[in-house]
Amino acid sequence: MSDPMIRVRDLSKRYARGGETLTVLDRLNLEMEEGRFYALMGPSGSGKTTLLNLIGGLDTPDSGSLFVAGEDLARLSGAELAHWRGASVGFVFQGFNLIPVLTAIENVMLPLTLTSLSKAQRRKNAETALRLVGLGDRLDHRPRQLSGGQEQRVAIARAIVTDPKVILADEPTGDLDRKSAEQVLDLLQRLNREFKKTILMVTHDPHAAERAQSVVHLDKGQLGRIEHNDAGAAAR
Amino acid sequence: MFKLVVQNLLRHPLRSILTVGSVCVAVFLLCLLRSIVTTMNAGLEAASATRLVAMSSISLFVDMPLSYQDKIARVEGVEDIVKWQWFGAYYQSPDNFFGQFAVDPERMRAIYPECQVEADGWERLARTRNGCIVGYQLADQFGWKVGDKIPMIGALFPHPSGSAWEFELVGVYRSTQPNFDNRTMFFRWDFFEETLKSDGQEPGVGVFVMKVGPGADVPRILSEVEALFENGPMRVKCDTESEFTRQFMSMMGDIPMFLGWIGTGVLVAILLGAVNTMLMAGREQIHDVGILKALGFTDGDSFRVLISQSLFLCTLGGAAGVGLALLTAGFFEVVLGQFFPGYHIAPSTSVMAVVVTVLIGFAAGIVPAWRAKNMRCVEALRTGV
Ligand SMILES: Nc1ncnc2c1ncn2[C@@H]1O[C@H](COP(=O)(O)OP(=O)(O)O)[C@@H](O)[C@H]1O
Ligand SMILES: [Mg+2]
Repeated sequence: MSDPMIRVRDLSKRYARGGETLTVLDRLNLEMEEGRFYALMGPSGSGKTTLLNLIGGLDTPDSGSLFVAGEDLARLSGAELAHWRGASVGFVFQGFNLIPVLTAIENVMLPLTLTSLSKAQRRKNAETALRLVGLGDRLDHRPRQLSGGQEQRVAIARAIVTDPKVILADEPTGDLDRKSAEQVLDLLQRLNREFKKTILMVTHDPHAAERAQSVVHLDKGQLGRIEHNDAGAAAR
Repeated sequence: MFKLVVQNLLRHPLRSILTVGSVCVAVFLLCLLRSIVTTMNAGLEAASATRLVAMSSISLFVDMPLSYQDKIARVEGVEDIVKWQWFGAYYQSPDNFFGQFAVDPERMRAIYPECQVEADGWERLARTRNGCIVGYQLADQFGWKVGDKIPMIGALFPHPSGSAWEFELVGVYRSTQPNFDNRTMFFRWDFFEETLKSDGQEPGVGVFVMKVGPGADVPRILSEVEALFENGPMRVKCDTESEFTRQFMSMMGDIPMFLGWIGTGVLVAILLGAVNTMLMAGREQIHDVGILKALGFTDGDSFRVLISQSLFLCTLGGAAGVGLALLTAGFFEVVLGQFFPGYHIAPSTSVMAVVVTVLIGFAAGIVPAWRAKNMRCVEALRTGV
């Protein structure tokens, strides 16, 4: 069997909070295979965001190791980690996190400025990504001129435009209405099926989690059971 | 990236414009202040080493007897001598301030080669008893042409008839040296003297300017001239032209130092304004910095996004300020010409302005840029939008 896309070994993360330390993740072990769609569930404050940020290299663990998309993150310097992130990971956040002063297409082109692509090529790729998320007619809109669902789809276009192996989504439907949420979930599922992206999506909506092939439960810094739901997800 | 920098500046157009505007005004003022200093220095440097000035030891405003001229001229080493008398009249209104002097035209012509009179102005002056020559800036200001009659209302020396002195413009001069301004009127001593004598007045002399040979023993000549009148009736103080100019300027106070303080004040004020703008911009963009870092931009990139905004604003303002200073140089040359003849903006002033601008840009942007660089991505993302 090939190496897993994500391998978490004895991962711990603690926060100092006014004198006492809060252990958010306690020697966690986890493997995720390439090309699968995972949902990460757990109560609020259970450390889901913390784990996602560690896997995406946005934050560093107190101990343990992380292998993501073929890299041992502990071995990368700050700038190397940034470059790796730009090339290998796409983020989708609950709050969309678009740059307000840039248009949809400029937001999507932003991560491509880190590549060696020509300006015309960057524009073309960004347009393709926006068309894929169904926003081919909203290229020059600013985030403020878009609905929440549209903003999140721009964010998804931005996450996939560099063709990363892994997409990390932190409650991507948390701020959306039912219909927009379904569109976003459809999109993520399509990215997984058609483009073989490995997706890890944090959610506490069981309905959203049904889209995933595997559901990982996290509680009090510990991993719970992992459910596989290939058949169910395929039916959606 | 460039797009991001520009769009962030356009996020608050008014704030950006105000910052650019204030940097522009400050840099403009700096150029102006420094140019006054460089112009003064240029005047001192251009002062002739072969010209000496004698005046009353009491003050510049006290006259010397006419008879001194021949006595000074006989001092060994003095090759030529010209007398000047401050006329102190005005044209149309006392607000039209410019200097007028009664001089010996032929001597003037010989001693002041930097005073270049157009066409045959000197010859015409020799033929025209009430003739006068004026600097081209003065001619431009009042629209005077050669042949025009110029009535001057005497304040220090009222005309015996009770009406105005009438001069005929016979020539316009251009100075080739910064210490000789282009806003002065010169006319014939004999006309001046004879007109007053008809009324029983005996005019005195304000200053005598002596020309000495290139290798002359200046200190000896100075003391010999002073010694001549040691026992009165009017004691005389004699100096080189540059020393005379320096003392004349210092009558107005220590201008370079005064201007230096103003300049420093302007700089500090503008720096505080720019720092404030950039701190606000930095705070607004913390969340964006988090996004950039999540997308794979490095800490250095975040630093550059912010410092570029600061440099961009300040350079734009600075360029506008230097441009404004250069554009208005001609105007100030006229306005300040009376006090700072030969006003001009030295190339070194433009260079200084550019350097100052870039330094302000760095100083204003460094704190927010440094913060953006060191801000951890997760923390930046957690801050509210
Ligand atoms: N920077 C931090 N400093 C201190 N405590 C933190 C920090 N980030 C997260 N926490 C705490 O860690 C716990 C887990 O947070 P998080 O991973 O955001 O949970 P989840 O995403 O599952 O709701 C929470 O109790 C939170 O308050
Ligand atoms: Mg969370």
